[in-house]
Amino acid sequence: MCTARACDKPMSCHILLLMIFENVEIEAIKRIQNAEDLIFMQIGATDEFSGIIQIAFFAFMMLFMLYGAKFQLWQFLKQIEVGLAEMKRMFVKSRQTAIETFKEYGHSEEEVAKELDQFMDYFTIMPVDLDPAGILKRLDHLLDVRRDRFQEFVADLAPESSGSMNQNLENTLEVTQVLGLIYRIVRHFYILGKKTGSQIMIMQIHMLMPELLRLAKAYFDAIGAFSQGKPIGDGIGPLVITKFAREFGATPESYTHEISKEVGYYTVETEGRTVYALRATGPGGTVGKPGFGVKNLMEKHGKKISRIITIDAALKFEGEELGRVAEGTGAAIGDPGPEKFAIEQAATEYGIGIEAIVIKEDEATAVGVMDKKILDTVPEVIERIKSVILKRTNPGESVILAGIGNTIGIGL
Amino acid sequence: MGLISKLIGIALAAVGFVLLFFGMNDTSTMSYVYSFLGLLVMAIGFALLTAGKPKEEKLPPPTITEIRCNNCDFKEIRDFKKGDYILKTVEEACPKCQTGMTIEGVYMIREEPKKKYNV
Ligand SMILES: [Zn+2]
Repeated sequence: MCTARACDKPMSCHILLLMIFENVEIEAIKRIQNAEDLIFMQIGATDEFSGIIQIAFFAFMMLFMLYGAKFQLWQFLKQIEVGLAEMKRMFVKSRQTAIETFKEYGHSEEEVAKELDQFMDYFTIMPVDLDPAGILKRLDHLLDVRRDRFQEFVADLAPESSGSMNQNLENTLEVTQVLGLIYRIVRHFYILGKKTGSQIMIMQIHMLMPELLRLAKAYFDAIGAFSQGKPIGDGIGPLVITKFAREFGATPESYTHEISKEVGYYTVETEGRTVYALRATGPGGTVGKPGFGVKNLMEKHGKKISRIITIDAALKFEGEELGRVAEGTGAAIGDPGPEKFAIEQAATEYGIGIEAIVIKEDEATAVGVMDKKILDTVPEVIERIKSVILKRTNPGESVILAGIGNTIGIGL
Repeated sequence: MGLISKLIGIALAAVGFVLLFFGMNDTSTMSYVYSFLGLLVMAIGFALLTAGKPKEEKLPPPTITEIRCNNCDFKEIRDFKKGDYILKTVEEACPKCQTGMTIEGVYMIREEPKKKYNV
């Protein structure tokens, strides 16, 4: 390169220059020839070390060309390791919280720990979807069986607990399980990636890591709420229902229990319309089966009902305001499928309108302790409900108002 | 502590830069030593500058229970106690008018995220 020109400097001194100033190289070289003692942009000058530098530079380039990807994977693995350690910490801590909560209700710490660890990887196998006929029924059945197992486990492990505390313990157990599951999955891919050196194993988990950590953090922060029975952001639906019903004279005594599993309703009159305000029974932590509650109410009151309104917390987009209220069409319910189906089915069958009012929250507020901003939306939501009822139903008709969500810490 | 280490970081980075520059302009064999030293000192400086404090674990904000009188505008705010839930009828009567009181809210006031995205 350099020697091709009339230049008496060794090659190394100009490599840098050539690389940087390719299109002005002739000018530059001329200038350097003219002023030989002006030596910029180079380390050292005209001695034997320049050869070594050149070799080192070349070796460096080769090393990165050949092993750049390996180096990057190593970096990825290190970053996954840091996240994994954080996940483990959260899991271990939440397990400890669960143990401490359970041991207050009749069994020793050792017994609780042993049983809890055994139950930690309890799983549910989703029904086969190759033949989708009746899949929702099968799924619903599986979820029922699963729930029974959870209740049985809690009853066994905390014999001195009862009622709503049982439900809170169930929730605590579930949160710990979720954290354990996230930790185990990430660990699986980390170890597998290390073992096989497979780029795809390492890269996919590396890319998912920030999202998984965010989710794990949300659940980790929530465990305190569940173990102590504090209301969570997701409970806004049931809360709105009760506040609405109380405005029209409902009391805990006027609540009709068990229209479906752990779900009941208030019957109130407003502006000549009968409103069946349905929610899961609190203040224990349960979401109940409000979808089937709506279906049963439809079957009970049939043609008199002219509209279904669902109230629920919905995940907000980043950038959206926390506690923003939005309206839409459809059943706002986040179950795995059977209940949403039941509501849609009932509405379609009777040909009535179905609409949703949602309160926007992020994951951390939805599963964490109720935020003041969410609580403050209650009057606005109630106003919206009233205007929906006034505008889109006629006097003499009935309305189903369903508040969907976890009722932990929210009284009747 | 944070500010001092940042200042030292800036000083070291500057010293390193000067050394590197000197090494690059020097024609003797020692220029390698200067350049290397310059790079090293600069790296330490930048490391000091960018190293954040180890994240201290922030405690979550306290959970608050808000109790209101059913009759007058009396309001009591206290820390959450186990067994509290929203819409629970509390046992003690309103100190003002002696009627019943209800828990109207159990909540947490979260910090606003500091970083705002102007889009
Ligand atoms: Zn009072």
